[in-house]
Amino acid sequence: MIKRVEVQYRGIFQKNLGKYIGGDIVMIASRMGRVAFSNGRYSDAPERNGIPCKYFAFVSPDLSEEELEAECGAKLDIDAADVSLVVDDTMSKGVEPWGWHGIRPVNEKVGHKGCLLMVTRREHDDLVRFMAKKDYPYRLARLEGDASLAGLWVDKDDLTRERCLGAVAAVDPDVIGIEAVEEYLREKTGDENRVRAAREAYDATLRKNKVVSAGEGIDWPHEIPVLPKWHEFDEGGVVVPAVERGFQLGPRGQNRNEGFKHGTSKTERPVVRFDLCIKCTLCWADCPDECFDPTDDELYDVNYEVCTGCHKCAEVCPVKECIVMVDELQFENTDSPWEHHKKDPAGYIQWAEGKKGTKRIRYPHVTGTGVEISEGTTVPPKA
Amino acid sequence: MTVAEQVRIWDREELLTGCQAVSHAVKLSDVDVIAAYPIRPYTEVMDMLSKLIADGKLDAEYIIADSEHSQFEIVKHASSVGARAFAGSSGTGWMYGFEALVVTATDRLPPLFLVGNRALDDPGAFGVEHNDAMSLRDMGWLMCWASTAQEALEHVFIGYRVAEDKTVRMPMALAMDGAFLTHSQHMVKVPTEESVKRFLPPFDLGERRLHPDNPVSIAPQVNEDWVMELRRQNWEAARRARGVIKQAYEEFNAIFGMRYDNPYFSEFMTDDAEAVLIGIGAVAMPTRTACRRMREQGHKVGYVNLRWFRPFPTDELRECLGRFKGVGVIDRDFAHGSPDNGGILMHEVRSCLYPLRERPNVINFIGGLGGRDISIEECIKMYESTLAAGRGDVPEELVSWTGLRE
Repeated sequence: MIKRVEVQYRGIFQKNLGKYIGGDIVMIASRMGRVAFSNGRYSDAPERNGIPCKYFAFVSPDLSEEELEAECGAKLDIDAADVSLVVDDTMSKGVEPWGWHGIRPVNEKVGHKGCLLMVTRREHDDLVRFMAKKDYPYRLARLEGDASLAGLWVDKDDLTRERCLGAVAAVDPDVIGIEAVEEYLREKTGDENRVRAAREAYDATLRKNKVVSAGEGIDWPHEIPVLPKWHEFDEGGVVVPAVERGFQLGPRGQNRNEGFKHGTSKTERPVVRFDLCIKCTLCWADCPDECFDPTDDELYDVNYEVCTGCHKCAEVCPVKECIVMVDELQFENTDSPWEHHKKDPAGYIQWAEGKKGTKRIRYPHVTGTGVEISEGTTVPPKA
Repeated sequence: MTVAEQVRIWDREELLTGCQAVSHAVKLSDVDVIAAYPIRPYTEVMDMLSKLIADGKLDAEYIIADSEHSQFEIVKHASSVGARAFAGSSGTGWMYGFEALVVTATDRLPPLFLVGNRALDDPGAFGVEHNDAMSLRDMGWLMCWASTAQEALEHVFIGYRVAEDKTVRMPMALAMDGAFLTHSQHMVKVPTEESVKRFLPPFDLGERRLHPDNPVSIAPQVNEDWVMELRRQNWEAARRARGVIKQAYEEFNAIFGMRYDNPYFSEFMTDDAEAVLIGIGAVAMPTRTACRRMREQGHKVGYVNLRWFRPFPTDELRECLGRFKGVGVIDRDFAHGSPDNGGILMHEVRSCLYPLRERPNVINFIGGLGGRDISIEECIKMYESTLAAGRGDVPEELVSWTGLRE
């Protein structure tokens, strides 16, 4: 028997988290007398700015290391996952790891009766409504928590790692057992809080575990690219035509690379109160992904297909409450917010404020020092 | 009393990537000089070594070069003063330092290099392809491929042992497949310092050591007066290396247990085989599974995992492959414009088999270029073609590409 686990994480911000969980699974399984190894989807590097990436762990109770490696090693991606651990629920909307692959469903590799295990605060149905239909049933387990996003090359060490290990033990004890998780953490860290975190996550995940039936979910809206055969493209290497120069005022007015949009990199998107905008141009000028489209009324529309949710615009905007970052799963589509604002200014403000809610969350530059949560205010429309 | 009973052989089992396993082995080999310049997938080796030094676990000169060319020159020079030296690279980085690599061999100096195999750009590709390391095959180097992290670790010791032997003194390239081996995390058995010391004697360059007490000039202009004789000496050293390699594995097995029954290659399910596949590196993984599945259905097939490429184990491989009717060579490389427009390994294997009166039929598969994975199903198809070729059904085109979009 072979158990295959994938960890889907956000590039760089969760790189160490993903790798640690893969390595921990190997070490815990080894303690249980099982054979295991771990690797990552190598082409994910350089993994930047939240790009969805993968790490894998393979475990077997009865095969030799040579046999397990022969079956699972030297592969780019997993065949079918028994457990697909997703450490940021906003990846429910799809994952676009790099160019040439398109936006793919987060549950693509979850096998028959496999388990999609997600770190989330959402309800079952709130997640399934973003995910692709599958023609067989699988389980969706939820581990309550926020996406643990750290800075470059670091891990936040906020117990997400320990909690994920507990949750994996809950959804598939044939990968790792909870007692072995506890022993491992106790021995490795000598910290009972970590042991307890794993156990609590184990107990909680056992309760939040529900079957997604065959056919439940959406028809996947994104096209998966088909690459040409060797005799079907021009010689001289892969020569990609430049994005044709094109600019006009208004939504989607700038030509952009259709081959790699990387909008699935975001956990949050900027919501703009156009009525408060003082037209300072900073968001448009500072956006590293050029996702603001100038409009004929001197505002800047946002193209959410290419926005990576980097927070830069919200940081530089000098107007209070004008650009606020909001959880990506609150949104159904990538439609132009400016068009919404033009069509119905009062309705747009109400919609935007509804999405923004009252909490304003600010992640400090030094990770692991908590988040700052303040009360937002609803600024009345500018006359 | 055996050596194993006298000293503790294994220190611990630790979760390590292929790159990290090599770094720990470099540390245990007590190297004196490390030159570093980053390029994926080798980079993690230099990262780990710098960490071992920063943590106070390794005492070595660590020099960050401005390019691979300087990096390789640094270890060549370090080696000439009698320092045990280490460097590594991948893909185009390896090519950029080519001039320095060539002179390291002609100067008969024995540093060890790790090559994390990577496709040669352009266009950009991180994945494994063997053309980078293999481009050095005619330059007087020792070349060996590891196919697990454990093997990579152990071959650092074996590599230094062979390279530094006073009858050899050739530079050593230890290669491992980028991504599939360099970046895969395994439980690796790490030996104790004492056991490594027992196996690997200190490096002694003897009379040739460049030192103020021993002023010598290395590699003056010699032109037509010396070069032919030097080449002949080079070749003689490579010939002697075959014997030293054998001896090194015997010594290694005596200390660490019977880990290698054949130094040059390992055979898998070949005993009564009719047809075998032969390959280098990580392709052994899907091929072995395919081999098992074919065996379950009664097909007599096996796999030969080639480890040493330079010197080429001509006699041993001829004897081994001569037993079979069909031989399918898997190349994760391509020899442009070669006699059959096939792979480098296939041409070598076929040339090795040519003197046999009864030769197996050899066919060639080109696959996994640029890091594409080779599936178990593809391996089964390769077995089927090789079995057919062995029975006389040799395809008109000896070389076929597998996993290509066509």
